[in-house]
Amino acid sequence: MSRRAGLITALIAVILVALWFLPAWAPYFYIFVAAEILILGLFAAGFNLVFGYTGMLSLGHAAFFGFGAYVTAMLLLHFDTPLAFALIASLAGGGLLALVIGFFCVRLTEVYFTMLTLAFGMMVFSVAQQWRSFTGGSDGITGFAVGSFGLGLDLTLGNPAVYYQLTLVIVTLAGLCLYLITISPFGLILRAMAENPERVAFTGIPVRRYRLYSFVISGAFSGLAGGLFAPFTRVASPETLHWSQSAEPVLMSILGGSATFLGPFIGSAIFVLLETWITSFTDRWMLFLGIVLALMVMYLRRGLLGTALDRLTKRG
Amino acid sequence: MESFIAALMNSLALGMLLFLIAIGLNIIFGVLNIINFAHGALYMLGAYITYTVAVLTGVSFWIALFAAPLIVAAIAVVIERVMLHRIYDRPITDSLLLTFALLLIIDETVRWIWGSTIHVVDPPASLSGTVRLLGIQQPVYGLFVIAMGLIVGLGLWGFFSGTRAGRVMRAAAIDRKMSRLVGIDVPLVFTAVFAFGAGIAGFGGAIAAPIRAISPAMGANIIVESFIVVVIGGLGSFPGAFLGALILGAINGFGSRYLPELNLVMPYIGMALVLLLKPQGLMGRTAS
Amino acid sequence: MITRITTPLGAAVVGAGLTLGATASAQEPISIGAIYILSGVGSTYGEFAQNGANLAIDEINEDGGVLGRPLEITFEDSQLEAQAAIQAMRKLVYQDGVDVLMGLDSSGVATGVVPVVPEVETPFIITHAATPDATGKLCNEWTYRNSVNIPQNIKGAAIMADESGANSWTTVGPDYAFGHQSWEYFQRYLGELNPDATFSDDPSFPAFGTEDFTPFINTVISNQPDGVFISVWGSDLVNFTRQANDLGFFDEDFEVLMSLGAATEVLSALGEQMPTGITVGTRYWYGAYDNEMNKAFVEAYRERHETPPSYNAQNAYSAVYAYKAAIEKAGEVDKVAIRDALKGMSYQAPMGEVRFREGDNQALVGPTYGVTAEDPDSELRLLDPQRNFAAEDVTPPLSETGCNLGG
Repeated sequence: MSRRAGLITALIAVILVALWFLPAWAPYFYIFVAAEILILGLFAAGFNLVFGYTGMLSLGHAAFFGFGAYVTAMLLLHFDTPLAFALIASLAGGGLLALVIGFFCVRLTEVYFTMLTLAFGMMVFSVAQQWRSFTGGSDGITGFAVGSFGLGLDLTLGNPAVYYQLTLVIVTLAGLCLYLITISPFGLILRAMAENPERVAFTGIPVRRYRLYSFVISGAFSGLAGGLFAPFTRVASPETLHWSQSAEPVLMSILGGSATFLGPFIGSAIFVLLETWITSFTDRWMLFLGIVLALMVMYLRRGLLGTALDRLTKRG
Repeated sequence: MESFIAALMNSLALGMLLFLIAIGLNIIFGVLNIINFAHGALYMLGAYITYTVAVLTGVSFWIALFAAPLIVAAIAVVIERVMLHRIYDRPITDSLLLTFALLLIIDETVRWIWGSTIHVVDPPASLSGTVRLLGIQQPVYGLFVIAMGLIVGLGLWGFFSGTRAGRVMRAAAIDRKMSRLVGIDVPLVFTAVFAFGAGIAGFGGAIAAPIRAISPAMGANIIVESFIVVVIGGLGSFPGAFLGALILGAINGFGSRYLPELNLVMPYIGMALVLLLKPQGLMGRTAS
Repeated sequence: MITRITTPLGAAVVGAGLTLGATASAQEPISIGAIYILSGVGSTYGEFAQNGANLAIDEINEDGGVLGRPLEITFEDSQLEAQAAIQAMRKLVYQDGVDVLMGLDSSGVATGVVPVVPEVETPFIITHAATPDATGKLCNEWTYRNSVNIPQNIKGAAIMADESGANSWTTVGPDYAFGHQSWEYFQRYLGELNPDATFSDDPSFPAFGTEDFTPFINTVISNQPDGVFISVWGSDLVNFTRQANDLGFFDEDFEVLMSLGAATEVLSALGEQMPTGITVGTRYWYGAYDNEMNKAFVEAYRERHETPPSYNAQNAYSAVYAYKAAIEKAGEVDKVAIRDALKGMSYQAPMGEVRFREGDNQALVGPTYGVTAEDPDSELRLLDPQRNFAAEDVTPPLSETGCNLGG
């Protein structure tokens, strides 16, 4: 077991090194593809803390992701805030919004929880859409400059290669934090709750409060992902708050495997690469996605990574 | 006063249309324990079939009104046999995921077959124009929509309480194992229920065709509204779908008239309030 | 009938392939990247743009291409989202290596994309999005627009409104930047023309994609203004008009003015349900330009697609010809050279001679307005009388645009 863990760690290290030097060997366009995979992967991994680990399907996580995007975009636009501080604000903002929304949502379970997250998510979307003077309405926030990073680092963030490498570092650090959370005693309690909340409650653990903790941490990382996304796409728009944006991390977690930590990242890579690849020769990408998703839900519910790991464990 | 009556009648027409979609959603949830994300797409299919029958082939709108639900129900049989029956034992969230995939497939296929241009269907001559009622001019078709909603509602109520098939469906919903023991063919009932619910959505699409622009976006627009309706009324509840549809119809009909700034956000506030105060919905059974 | 849309497109693709094979020789094609809405709401606009651009490319390639090189085009879906459009632009430039860019269907997408165009260092001609900001406060030297923008479109509406004699006005517009900006410009321009004009403080802004316009229609009817200015467009306008018919909206005693009511997709969807005698506008009307190029364009387009070209088709068609002119003027396929050649350039389009104004890169073009009338030969409405607005009468002076790129 420890040998396999070592192997996986080594593999991840190799991938990370390869990703770091991506601008040196891959076509320029793949910098953008890789940055998108990393950011959406972080969003999906943050989301999966609630979905895969705590067993609750949220259809409102775009609220946190989009909120993070708006926070960073507005700080950059109005105050020329160094990016590091804008990202910290997005992380905190996502967590705070998740605290407010989660306070209500964790009272419910199963499909009622899902519907309530959908309602709150769409409330945030509606506000961004209609409060034109503050949020820019349907146009969102555009035309902000990405200036300095802060923290004494001299980075040319306008250069996509530099921004990509920064994204890689931040996503790696954030992913590591998330991973440590999932293997901590807290993370184990979450898993136990997903399997049998009654039994966990019986041991005296306040289930509802733990669900809220999980929701807030998940919202904070989603907010951070949104904060990285706005300077990458150069816009914070209401679409990042819409329920269809909430569906993306769900699809990614399913594709990669929601029971594994790296599943959402793998799912993000599959999703973005497939989309890039398929849309280059047909605009029927949604049809293809629908069929793949249907097959995954019916036959490979544990996702690609999850299924692969199952096979490996069976053999070993 | 006049604008109040206008808003009221409009809310009713809107509510009845929502009812036609939400009722199928609720029947399917009640019996199959599936939340059908693709229900709006089935409604859209109904509208496109109506367009094809009534406009392209030139047969009358009245025939389309029968053809649309039947064809949609037939498609639903295939969907249930190929896809849905595999996930009845899974957590309910899996049904959301699978039917979301279905929504993508149907949306794209519709765009493939009919293109993405806007289509319209003319209402039959007997239902166009306005009549004077309650002191204002009312569109005849709006009154027709209200009447159709009420007829379908009453018909379904009679069906579930007064016929053997209706009682079998209810029995299957309450206890699958028991139903099988007393000789009810449960898989067949499930297929029939999904086709039935989808057929009503197809009928809703046919009814909507003369008043809505038929475009590939119409399914996605209505599905979230239908969720609001069934959540407010109560998931799986028959009278709930009716009440929820009337409430959302009123929120939209009066809200856009009197509170335009809060128009978008109000339905979601209503949905959240109901979920927090009475998660089973206004008409839902209190014990699950 | 069902394959009505796909067959001509397929034929076009085959045709393009054949002509490419015939004339391409060993020359490497000049590559155009196009970003339009190809899925979901409004994808009909992307289809029209594809039709127009493909037609222009086939014509040019049959004629021997540009500088002896054939043209090729790659379409990407904007999904009506700024972030998707920006990603598409990066893909076209960095992955597909296109030489020039065109497209954009919505103001929201344009406000996101325009500031990023200088980063990809590729000329971009906007062919549809009408926000004044694209050639106003967000303008830059890489971005051009060959289509009618909101101020030009609405100035025409204000002149028509002034001449109608109606004084008290209200609006029904989509509840996003476009609808609100249209109403703001309408008030400003009409207020300048007619000091007696008054504007409702209870305007109606239904959400974009609203299915039920009845409450908004009832609001207008119960307010009884002298005139109502409608900036709702596309499938929303089709819905609006049909529901308004049902409620007797057009029988009421007020002037009805639709800034995009003469868009051909709206007219062909509505057919005889479009009332006669109302004032409608569009950013290009196929019957409004009496020149050889327009005649040939309308005929060729009709032959392929069995419908007259919409404004979006003309604008995309025209943009391809703009690039042909710019590349020939530059004498080479170099991004900076093409960008500089476009500056202040005039070229022939179906709309007549079009010039990009130096200073903001906005094309000097004007809208067409007219009164809907029955067409004895068709179910579709035509415009009679119709009126083309000259660019100089409707284009705001450079000082008002918030852009100055220098002469």
